[in-house]
Amino acid sequence: MLRSVSPLHLEYLQNMGVTASMSISLMQDQKLWGLIACHHLSPKYVSYNIRTVCEFIGQVMSAELANKVTNEDTAYKVQLKTLQAQFIEALSQTEYFLDGMVQLEPELLQLVNATGAVICSASQCICVGETPAEADVRALLNWMKPHFHQSLFETRSLSQNYPAAESFKAIASGVLALEISKVHHNYILWFRPEVVQTVNWGGNPNKPVEVLADNSLRMSPRRSFDLWQETVRASALPWKPCEIEAVIELRSLLVGVVLRQADELALMNFELQRSNEELDSFAYIASHDLKEPLRGIHNYANFLMEDYATALDGDGVAKLQTMVRLTQRMEDLINSLLHFSRLGRAELMRQTVNLDELVHQTIATLTIARPQNEVEFRIPRFLPEVKCDRAQVNELFTNLISNAIKYNNKAEKWIEIGYLAGQEGEIAGAGNVSPITFYVGDNGIGIPPEHLDKIFQIFRRLHGRDDFGGGTGAGLTIARKIAERHGGRIWVKSIPAEGSTFYFTLAAEADA
Amino acid sequence: MIARPTPLLIVEDSNEDFEALQRFLRRSSTPISIQRCISGEQALAFLNRTGDYIDQITPRPGLIVLDLNLPGTDGREVLRQIKQNKNLKSIPVVVFTTSSNPKDIEDCYQFGVNSYIVKPINFAQLKRDVQLLVDYWFEVTTLPN
Repeated sequence: MLRSVSPLHLEYLQNMGVTASMSISLMQDQKLWGLIACHHLSPKYVSYNIRTVCEFIGQVMSAELANKVTNEDTAYKVQLKTLQAQFIEALSQTEYFLDGMVQLEPELLQLVNATGAVICSASQCICVGETPAEADVRALLNWMKPHFHQSLFETRSLSQNYPAAESFKAIASGVLALEISKVHHNYILWFRPEVVQTVNWGGNPNKPVEVLADNSLRMSPRRSFDLWQETVRASALPWKPCEIEAVIELRSLLVGVVLRQADELALMNFELQRSNEELDSFAYIASHDLKEPLRGIHNYANFLMEDYATALDGDGVAKLQTMVRLTQRMEDLINSLLHFSRLGRAELMRQTVNLDELVHQTIATLTIARPQNEVEFRIPRFLPEVKCDRAQVNELFTNLISNAIKYNNKAEKWIEIGYLAGQEGEIAGAGNVSPITFYVGDNGIGIPPEHLDKIFQIFRRLHGRDDFGGGTGAGLTIARKIAERHGGRIWVKSIPAEGSTFYFTLAAEADA
Repeated sequence: MIARPTPLLIVEDSNEDFEALQRFLRRSSTPISIQRCISGEQALAFLNRTGDYIDQITPRPGLIVLDLNLPGTDGREVLRQIKQNKNLKSIPVVVFTTSSNPKDIEDCYQFGVNSYIVKPINFAQLKRDVQLLVDYWFEVTTLPN
């Protein structure tokens, strides 16, 4: 292409002492890729023939460029393909992509010639090789998330864009990151260390402007032709296109595994839900059908006592009475089971409930039913209003308070009902971000530590059937079910002979 | 005062439960003639005078005691049909069932049941319940003819 030369370029050539100049463009994909520059110290005219030959050389060079680039690192590319094949094999055999990846730790690094890698899921980070600390990786990932372009993020000098990376630039100046699944928070990051490089330039590229005597600025070419050296810091070796390609292929492989995994989980959830529902309706139908023959036994035992009163002696009557009593006990158990199964299925009717009123009513109901029990009720502060199912929470308090009344043999019994908020709940063991923790404490008989894990099991009783007023042994199981259906949980702290305190929450920890 | 014994229809598939009911009904001072059906289909045929009962000239029952869980057409359906039938809906229906399911209770009252009793596993209570039932529906209450 012919054009006149810029005055600045002419000045630059003069500074160099060059009097004749010719350049041949090297083109790739219709863009200037580079050029062959020819200088001569004395004026020189290049003939048309030679110029044609030069142009031809330029065209041949241009044509070869694509080939040269493709064939560069051929051995390396073959190695990458082999690694990819290994990944395909390992991942096709694993259920969870993390499992598959962990088996291939060294290959994971080799795939992109990295010195460190991190495989992140929502719950864990697996670090391979040299990586920044997990907290740094998490922070970096959060910063990086909006910067992914087609699920890929790539840089050779992270600290330029992300200043926090300055502290770990020695191990992670180069970062290549892959987003496997946004929903499941699955990411893979590769790291390359800082490589302090000395780059040789033809001249200082940063000084093209000089200030003249009249303070005006002038663009000027350089006069010195010594090598200008620059030290590049906080930079890693660049990620090669073939490495990036390998990573993109790895991604499509992993996405397949993750999708398969998600499908399986969805199926499993569905199955679980169905078997839960079946179990609930099974408990309901079974206990319903058990009642009919039981009622028959009960009634016929009574028929016997009525119709054969003269034939039966005292012992015979006593045995039939025991039989009748057992049928009633069996009915109590079935009713508890029915009630428990209904609790699991009934829709939760959340409404704003004034717990202070509710607890006072509960206490009133319980004390009317048991006027012989003298108990001091302590409510240190007003209980709050809470969104919950009134009937269920009433039952929860009823079960805990009636247990507290029953399992107490002290002369002066007391029961304390209150709540802990925020920090206070943490001390009681509710976890750090906790909703309001309610408690029902007593100075009763307490629970031996070896039995603490059993008390919430259905029909599990720690005492004789007729001690402490009896009961079916479903009260705490139901209490736990109610807390759990509200998204909360229930737990106990107890010292034998001194008393027990039951704690519960009515909301998930995250809702706090 | 009442010359003829009051007819009572009991729809109950369990022999033992029927026996228990019959036992206490017989002891009642009110003379009662008991008609028993063991399935929903049989009860509807009896009430509508269809099928086996086409030539029957038994009087209309003064009260129906209905179990919910019956083979085939169950008690809920029988109740629904009785209460939607212009001729039958004035007959009081008392559901007498094992089910204490709140949904059953709600549904039955929505259909227009006159009373819902959960069968007790308690002999003394059963005796009392049956006596109350007879006294209330046959002595206290005035029923249409």
